[in-house]
Amino acid sequence: MFKAIVSADTLRDTLDSVSVLVDECKIHLNDDGIEIRAVDPANVGMVDLTLSADAFESYEADGGLIGVDLSRLEDIAGMADAGQLVQLELDEETRKLHIQIEGLEYTLALIDPDSIRQEPDLPDLDLPAQVVVEGADIDRAVRAADMVSDHIALGVDAENERFYVDAEGDTDDVHLELEREDLIDLEAGDARSLFSLDYLKDMNKAFPKDAEVTLELGEEFPVKMHFDFAEGLGSVTFMLAPRIQSN
Amino acid sequence: MGNADLRQLAVIEEVGFDELDGVVAVDAHNWLYKYLTTTVRFTRDDAYTTADGTEVPNLIGVVQGLPKFFENDLTPVFVFDGRVVGLKDEEVEERREERERREEKLEAAREAGDALEVARLDSQTQRLTDVIHETTRELLSLLDVPMVEAPAEGEAQASYMARVDDDVDYVGSDDYDCLLLGAPLTLRQLTSKGDVERMDFEATLAEHDVTWEQLVDVGILCGTDFNEGLTGYGPKTALTAVREHGDLWGVLDAEDAYIDDADRIRELFFDPDVTDDYTVDADLDPDLDGARAYLTEEWDIPVDEVERAFERIEESVTQTGLDRWT
Repeated sequence: MFKAIVSADTLRDTLDSVSVLVDECKIHLNDDGIEIRAVDPANVGMVDLTLSADAFESYEADGGLIGVDLSRLEDIAGMADAGQLVQLELDEETRKLHIQIEGLEYTLALIDPDSIRQEPDLPDLDLPAQVVVEGADIDRAVRAADMVSDHIALGVDAENERFYVDAEGDTDDVHLELEREDLIDLEAGDARSLFSLDYLKDMNKAFPKDAEVTLELGEEFPVKMHFDFAEGLGSVTFMLAPRIQSN
Repeated sequence: MGNADLRQLAVIEEVGFDELDGVVAVDAHNWLYKYLTTTVRFTRDDAYTTADGTEVPNLIGVVQGLPKFFENDLTPVFVFDGRVVGLKDEEVEERREERERREEKLEAAREAGDALEVARLDSQTQRLTDVIHETTRELLSLLDVPMVEAPAEGEAQASYMARVDDDVDYVGSDDYDCLLLGAPLTLRQLTSKGDVERMDFEATLAEHDVTWEQLVDVGILCGTDFNEGLTGYGPKTALTAVREHGDLWGVLDAEDAYIDDADRIRELFFDPDVTDDYTVDADLDPDLDGARAYLTEEWDIPVDEVERAFERIEESVTQTGLDRWT
């Protein structure tokens, strides 16, 4: 059993955070909210998302599991104006999701969850450095790095209490530094890892530009990037595996 | 090469390359031969021929065949044939005669100036020369790809590894004999562009409700590399007969027939000449610059023939996967 009403914005934010990595996903319909965990086919980027039942106008579920085609569902959510409500109801018999937006009814065929790639195990990461920045700062760093290279180094200089970003291209380089006072918070520890910009650019699309993003970093370790949405009732953690640094 | 009729019995499922991961013991001759013929067919011959006329199309073929493994988290272990198994002499002789016939035709086509026919026959008459053997091993060793030297047949060694070694997940071979050799999962069509075929040993036994011994007996009745089958016996007939009479001896008794060395042939499948003396280190650390130099400087292969493949290998080995931390 699943029946819920949610604002179109919250639904879109939820879907957008997952669709940057995968085309299809499983959604757990727990009694206290929904949960999604997915990894891209190359096993490089992962998303772990929860959205509390309190983020919904109304919510009833009893622990079911559905599989969805994300771009389909995003298209439907896109039909709603900001602030409009979307009503979702699962038909257990037909395994279809009935979606209603102000008189518009859409019946979405679901995907057999068993046919969707298995949900990944969460990596066990003990990361020495933590940085809290505005989403807009990451956006700026990613856009600058993208002008010169395919990859980007994220690091923390513990001694000088600095978060930095490096991108080295064939001819041009980009370097960006944020001191402790430019950051919302910093737990200094030496860290530097290199990441693919292809992935980071996609994840960046999901970051809220006007809210906090927490980065956890290590030496040649995956980065964890965390943010809240839906007024703190939704939570997203991205994990991205590093590239091996040559030389 | 095994009896292709076994396909009628095998449980085979098509799977995408990206759904596979783990270690695959590749029947090296089978794989190499495919890439050799493709390279010869689609690449101009001066790209792989040195000034003194030595042909090394294998070097282009190998480097173009490898990225697909790396990009999909599949680690290949190449298993090379050792000596020819005694009972197979007849087949080897046949193949040699066949090749000589093709070479004669090729010569005739050259004289007649039939370029298309020359290209077609040329790709069929490829042989794994000593130079091809040595340079393939050198290239694989620069790329840190594990290799195993089988005491006898590569497909038997590869099947054995997949059967008993927890670190080996699949056999990579187009040979249906891997089923008789008990390889749990055999990947066919590894060299093709599309999906691969995953042949499942346990599922095959379950599908026909037979034991491994009975499956081998079915294979022997249809004919293997080591014996002619019984006249009139295809896989379906052989299966019914083995089920009815219990095993090969029962069937032979009932048919009042005889197969030379039948007990020895059985042993070649159950207890082939294989070795435990090998190591598989799936954590690869390829020397890409060394491999590039080996191909383009030592063997004069044009950079643009192999650069794209090297870039793909480089990209796949520099990007880690999150599973490393789980």
